Amino acid sequence: MDRQHMRSPLARAMGLGSAKKGVEHWWAERVLAVALIPLTLWFVASIIAQTGSDHATFITWLRMPVTTIMMVLLLVALFHHTALGLQVVIEDYRHAGSKFAALVIMRLTCFGLATAGIIAVLHIAFGG
Amino acid sequence: MMPTSPAKRPRPLSPNIQIYRPQLTSVLSIANRISGVVLSLGAVVLVIWLLAAAAGPEAYAVVQGALASWLGQVVLFGCTFAFFLHLCGGIRHLVWDMGYGYELSLIYASGWAVVAGSVALTVLAWIASLLLGD
Amino acid sequence: MIIGSSDQVPRTTLLKRFPVPRNLGVGPESRIGRGKTWSAPAGAVRVKAFEIYRYDPDSDGNPRLDTFEVDLDDCGPMVLDALIWIKNKVDPALTFRRSCREGICGSCAMTMDGTNWLACTRFISDMAAPATVYPLANMRIIKDLVPDLTHVFAQYAMIEPWLQTRTPEPERERPQSPEERSRLDGYYECILCFCCTSGCPSHWWNGDRFLGPAALLQAYRWLADSRDEATGERLDILEDPFRLYRCHTILNCTRTCPKGLNPGKAIAEIKKMVLERRT
Ligand code: HEM
Ligand code: SF4
Ligand code: SF4
Ligand code: FES
Repeated sequence: MDRQHMRSPLARAMGLGSAKKGVEHWWAERVLAVALIPLTLWFVASIIAQTGSDHATFITWLRMPVTTIMMVLLLVALFHHTALGLQVVIEDYRHAGSKFAALVIMRLTCFGLATAGIIAVLHIAFGG
Repeated sequence: MMPTSPAKRPRPLSPNIQIYRPQLTSVLSIANRISGVVLSLGAVVLVIWLLAAAAGPEAYAVVQGALASWLGQVVLFGCTFAFFLHLCGGIRHLVWDMGYGYELSLIYASGWAVVAGSVALTVLAWIASLLLGD
Repeated sequence: MIIGSSDQVPRTTLLKRFPVPRNLGVGPESRIGRGKTWSAPAGAVRVKAFEIYRYDPDSDGNPRLDTFEVDLDDCGPMVLDALIWIKNKVDPALTFRRSCREGICGSCAMTMDGTNWLACTRFISDMAAPATVYPLANMRIIKDLVPDLTHVFAQYAMIEPWLQTRTPEPERERPQSPEERSRLDGYYECILCFCCTSGCPSHWWNGDRFLGPAALLQAYRWLADSRDEATGERLDILEDPFRLYRCHTILNCTRTCPKGLNPGKAIAEIKKMVLERRT
């Protein structure tokens, strides 16, 4: 057996001790979820209304200030919520070294995708 | 307490997920998780779509074509269902987090409401989209 | 089907078990083999088969699933009665814990037909055919239906389940109003059977660090006690991404508690307290 064997049951249960944090992550996930309810419903309704429209119509819609603002807010909230959510999923199922690698990749991907999406929206809104 | 000698082989672990009965509680919890992961993948499609729109009409037409294909429609339908499931399940979670709805009968009633609501909303959304699409 | 109280056994089931491979994540020492079949005594009329998990630490063998045919006309109405009947009449080696046989000591908790309950308060007539009896899910097994509860009791010890005070000992008792006392209702009744912790998927995957519903319900029982003066220290022990926040409100705990308690709600109250002291 491993070096854990001689430790007392209580020492094993205590592990590395309490992080004395965790509420920030939990709270941010809920606040973003609340923000996502109107944002995603607006988005789905708009996409349904846009069904079958061509590039020009779509661009015109995206250039409306309200649309631009809502899209940027949506992308920020959505990828932040996703990063926090996927972090919990990874921590649940991945342990030891692969956990840290997975967390880094996931974080950077979410950050990159959010940035790309926002730049695309701003490019359409303000580009020539 | 019972001393265990290190030479002894480890005690077996009694089965958990292999035998534990799926209940509405655990099934909807894992459904909320799977739908969250599906939506995360859907978010990648969203960004690709926005980038294509920014790149110009040709790139946009390619992505629109892919989404209009048979496979694209199946993916979109799956994302719609995942969205409404996660939305309804998420609202249920938010109510719980405020401290309400923990009576067992309410847990079950809200659970079935999530199932019915997400199916109904998905169907409604696609009917609306098909009507507007012509 | 709407379940109104935790003792309800569903009549119909869409899925008997999750569609995962039988040996998903199962170490070699935990693989379950086929066991023996012990036939009903000659002349038995009403016979019910029980598939029971067996593990003998003194042999080199793996756990196995034995089938016992029980003569219902010779046996009491509860699953515990069937186990006692088997031990007395068929296989004296069958090992399980029991004491009160009336649902108050918590010894006989096990996984029956895929859900956790007390063998002494589960009717045989509510069991499927064949009935399946496993030890509490996700525990290291000492023998047959006897799980090693050392770790879950260590997690219980971690929440310091005793009254903590700084105010010097009063002359007489520490007073508590009837209203303050009533805030312990639904929490003080816990019999530490660990049905809830053993049924919690989050504890399956991260039980080394997640405290689990039983310990957390007990933690709330002391947080809710108006006489306790260690609220802040208690919350410090609990506030941790794994110890507390691994609870994903799955609510298998509330569904299974044989005392009808609500660990899921207790955990939500702890999360609210942690949030409250920060905002
Ligand atoms: C529409 C409004 C939304 C609401 C109300 C919502 C709500 C929630 C809540 C309450 C949780 C925590 C569940 C738990 O504790 O187990 C959660 C988790 C999660 N959400 Fe959302 N969400 C929304 C939209 C989204 C979107 C659009 C995505 C992805 C693009 C997403 C991805 C995730 C992921 C990956 C998780 C983690 C799943 C888990 O831990 O099991 N959510 N959501
Ligand atoms: S509510 Fe929390 S403690 Fe209860 S079964 Fe779910 S994850 Fe486990
Ligand atoms: S809360 Fe219920 S299921 Fe959990 S240990 Fe206490 S009595 Fe048992
Ligand atoms: S024997 Fe005491 S609870 Fe079953």
